This record gives sequence, C-alpha cells and structure tokens, in this order.
Amino acid sequence: MARRPDEEYDYLFKVVLIGDSGVGKSNLLSRFTRNEFCLESKSTIGVEFATRTLQVEGRTIKAQIWDTAGQERYRAITSAYYRGALGALLVYDVTKPTTFENVSRWLKELRDHADANIVIMLIGNKTDLKHLRAVAVEDAQSFAEREGLSFIETSALEAVNVEKSFQTILGEIYRIISKKSISGGETGPASIKQGETLVVGAQDGNTKKTCCSSS
Amino acid sequence: MEKKRVDESLQVPAPGRVDRFGFVKQEHNSPDGLSRNKSALEYQREQKRLRKWRKMIGVGGSDWKHYVRRKPHVVKRRIRKGIPDCLRGLVWQLISGSRDLLLMNPGVYEQLVIYETSASELDIIRDISRTFPSHVFYQQRHGPGQRSLYNVLKAYSVYDREVGYVQGMGYLAGLLLLYMSEEDAFWLVVALLKGAVHAPMEGLYLEGLPLVQQYLFQFDRLMREYMPKLGEHFTEEMINPSMYGSQWFITVFSYSFPFHLALRIWDVFLYEGVKIVFKVGLALLKYCHDDLVKLPFEKLIHALRNFPDDAMNPDVLLPMAYSFKVSKRLEELEQEYEKIHGKVAESKAKQKQPQLT
Repeated sequence: MARRPDEEYDYLFKVVLIGDSGVGKSNLLSRFTRNEFCLESKSTIGVEFATRTLQVEGRTIKAQIWDTAGQERYRAITSAYYRGALGALLVYDVTKPTTFENVSRWLKELRDHADANIVIMLIGNKTDLKHLRAVAVEDAQSFAEREGLSFIETSALEAVNVEKSFQTILGEIYRIISKKSISGGETGPASIKQGETLVVGAQDGNTKKTCCSSS
Repeated sequence: MEKKRVDESLQVPAPGRVDRFGFVKQEHNSPDGLSRNKSALEYQREQKRLRKWRKMIGVGGSDWKHYVRRKPHVVKRRIRKGIPDCLRGLVWQLISGSRDLLLMNPGVYEQLVIYETSASELDIIRDISRTFPSHVFYQQRHGPGQRSLYNVLKAYSVYDREVGYVQGMGYLAGLLLLYMSEEDAFWLVVALLKGAVHAPMEGLYLEGLPLVQQYLFQFDRLMREYMPKLGEHFTEEMINPSMYGSQWFITVFSYSFPFHLALRIWDVFLYEGVKIVFKVGLALLKYCHDDLVKLPFEKLIHALRNFPDDAMNPDVLLPMAYSFKVSKRLEELEQEYEKIHGKVAESKAKQKQPQLT
C-alpha cells in the first residue's frame, strides 16, 4: 500500500510524557501539537495521544506522543506505554518542589519498564509563575548532569521553549538512530527508515507495520 | 453573541451562556436536540411521563420499593427511557441503595468531613479545578461547588483509606453533586464502590487498578466476538482497549462524553449495573464500525476518542446498546480472567463494609 502524502516522514519516534500529576504534561503536548493551551484543562485519566510531524536536522520526523496520567495509582496502566518508546519527557513543576523530588522515582519507573537506552529529557515547566518558583534552575541542571539527562525549562502557557524541548529530544533520538544505522547496530529501541518496519506503541514490543512492510 | 472565554473577572456567566445542565456553552455546540424549543405535544407528553414517575415514586420515595417489587420490568423500561431530570437525584438515591446507607449511618459523613484528616488532601485539591472545569458550579475558585466536591472526596478517602483518592473519582462525585446534597452524594459513592446493589466498583481504583484491567479484558473479548472484522483490524493496527476504554469504566462515561448522554447512561448504570458500560461501548464501536475498519492506527485512536455527534444521541445509541446481550458472557469471561490472573482483589478493609439488610 502506498503511503499517502500527508503521512510522509523519514522516521517515526514514539515519545512518552511522564511526571507527577498537575505539572502540565497535557498542556505541553497540546502546545506542541496544536499550539493550544487550556487554562481549564481536565486531569488526564489513563493515556492520551497526539502526533506532530516536523523537521529535525533536515529530516522529516513524526513524533508520536503518549501523554500519561500522573497519579501513582495509574502506573498500573501507563507503564505499559513505556515499552518501545525512544524518548521520555520527564516533567516537573518549578513551583512545586515535591514534583522535582519525585523525578528520581520516575527515573526508576523508566528503568523498570522502558527500554534501556531510552533518551530522557528533564523538563521544568511553569516558568511563567515567576513569583512562585521553588526549584532553582541550578539544582535541576546539576541533577540532570549527574543522571545524564538533558534539561530545559519551559512554559506551556507562554509557549516558551516547548518547541525547543521537543526539537532537542527528537534530535537526540535521531542522532542515536542514525549512528546505529551506520554502524549496523540493532540493539535496543530502534526506529528504522521509511520503507521498512517502524517501532510504534506496541504493547508487546513487536514491530508494527504502518503501511509499508520490510518483506 | 461573542464567544468569549470565561475569565476570572467574570466567574459566573450569564444564564444565556450555559446550557440546560449548567455547562458553559462551547463554540462547538453539539446538536443534542435539547436546546431547541419543545412543541406543545412534546411538552404534554413530558408532563404525562412526569405524573407517572411521581406516582411510581410516591412522596419522598415512599412507594418506590413497593413498586419495584411489584413491577420491576416497568421500572426497568421507564428508566431506560430516561429518568425525568427533576426527579433524577431522588431516583438515583433510591435505585443505588444510597438512601438506606444514609439512614443507617446518621452523623457519619459530618464526622468524616469535620474531624478526620486525609493523606490525599493535597491530591484532591490539585484536581478540584480540573473536574468539570466548564460547569458553572465548579468554576468559582473555592466556591460552593468546589468546596462540596472537596468534602465528598476527602470524606471518601478517609472512609476507605485503602482506596483513598484516585483521579476519576472526582467525575463520579462531581456528577452526583449536580443532583443531590454532599451527604447524599457521598453515600452514593459509597454504595457504588462498596457494592450496595451491584458488584463493588472499588477494584477500579485500588492499587494496580485490578478491575480496570479485568473489564478491559472482558470488553476486548466481547468486542471481538460481536465485531470480528473490527477485532482483526484492531489487532493489525495494535489497538488495545486501554487506549480508549479505561475512562469509560473509571468515570462511567462522565469524563469526556456529552453530559445529556452521560446522564442517560447513569440512569441505567445505577439500576442495572456496570454491564451498561460494556453495552454502550459495544454500541459506539458498532455505530462507527464501517468507518473504524478503514482507519489506520493514528486516525483510529483519534476516532475512538472523538465519536461523531450523531452517535452521541442517547435515543439512537442506547437502543443499540440494549440490543447487546452480555450478562452471561461477562460472567464466563470473568471466570476466564480469574483463571489467568487470579481473583480480582476486593478491599481488605472489611470492617468498613456497609451493612446492608
């Protein structure tokens, strides 16, 4: 079956949005995929999903993003979505120290359920609430360095750094993938070029045929 | 009229800007047939129906139990047609068994609200403004709606510390509070989660969400039996029911479905139990079947979360839902699930189980 023009892309990357409840994951997603922000947003029940196709390092990348409910109880459902994800955006709220303190627990969650070489980016959201800031940039920065994560602060409300955060993580994933395809390495999560099979949000980690098959 | 968004300077919108249920009108107003003017004939019919209902219930619900015992099939039929909105709150309490719980436990709710503290307080506060955010009752910060919602959820989290507070419960309580007092809403939540009349729902919210997992398993199997072609397509596209169905069960369709439809589903849900959630889910898929089987993964996910307006008409969707016979298969599938996963845990806190006579 031929790929329709509106679905043309070089790579398809699955990314998950995780972090405590109320840190702004859903609004980061809506800002990135639809350039919308909703002040009266509902809490996420289960998982939500959105995509956007964009240019990264001269390639057309389709980002397939799963937004998960933040409450701990929901991990029974949401952790299944880490499988096959190439990237994770781990979000905390710069005005709520507990959401930053819980970042380590989320990293453990990823270690337990996600692929070993998943690219992780730490995001401090809600920088627009300047007078309420309670997590210093330096603290988050040094934590990210220690843990080997990239780090950025964003405001989904003011659309600050949202684009950049997604661009950065997709770029990082791309560099890893393209390095792998040159060296021929096939370990860990790998998304493969158009015309072959692509790893998508498969529960069981199987490859999924989007519209083309490798056979 | 301008379609301005409600901002903080205007916390309570003028009456013309909310629909008949109190939701602030969106730019996209679904043609639910409720906003148009009723004809004289329809009005008369409605009045006649209301008189029948009043007779069936009796003053303050005094004749209800008697009537249900004598003519259960009449009650079932009338509930399936929809409970008149002005009687909804009362009837819901009668059919759910919550009225009995309230009478058996005088003063308990007040005790829970005033004297007890809950480990979930901050979690609840965080979600209060994120529950029915477009309803006038819940829009005012610290207003009566938000306070009631907080009290009910906090009281429940103390009453049942094993469940505590889980996101999604706010939609249950929030929907009930639009039709009854705090204390009545609290006991209805208790009746549902502890299983006063039907199977307890607490497993939807307990650690591991065991009942969500079981229901999704059952739903997936039912769907494949009734719509094998769609089942096959879902397998090919790697769609699993947690991608679209979790919130159907966790909030009984109150999270993202049009309110007038949610109410009609709740009428039946409270009288007949959770099987209506399965039936409505099946009806939704059946209604959109011919479109769904053609869609690729992403469009499929989108379609499964955004059903067309014409599918949201209760008088179309519900008769279709009733046509699915699921009780027997649900039991078999539950046993099958238990064989694989063990019995879904129910609360260990048996001392908190309401005594039902």
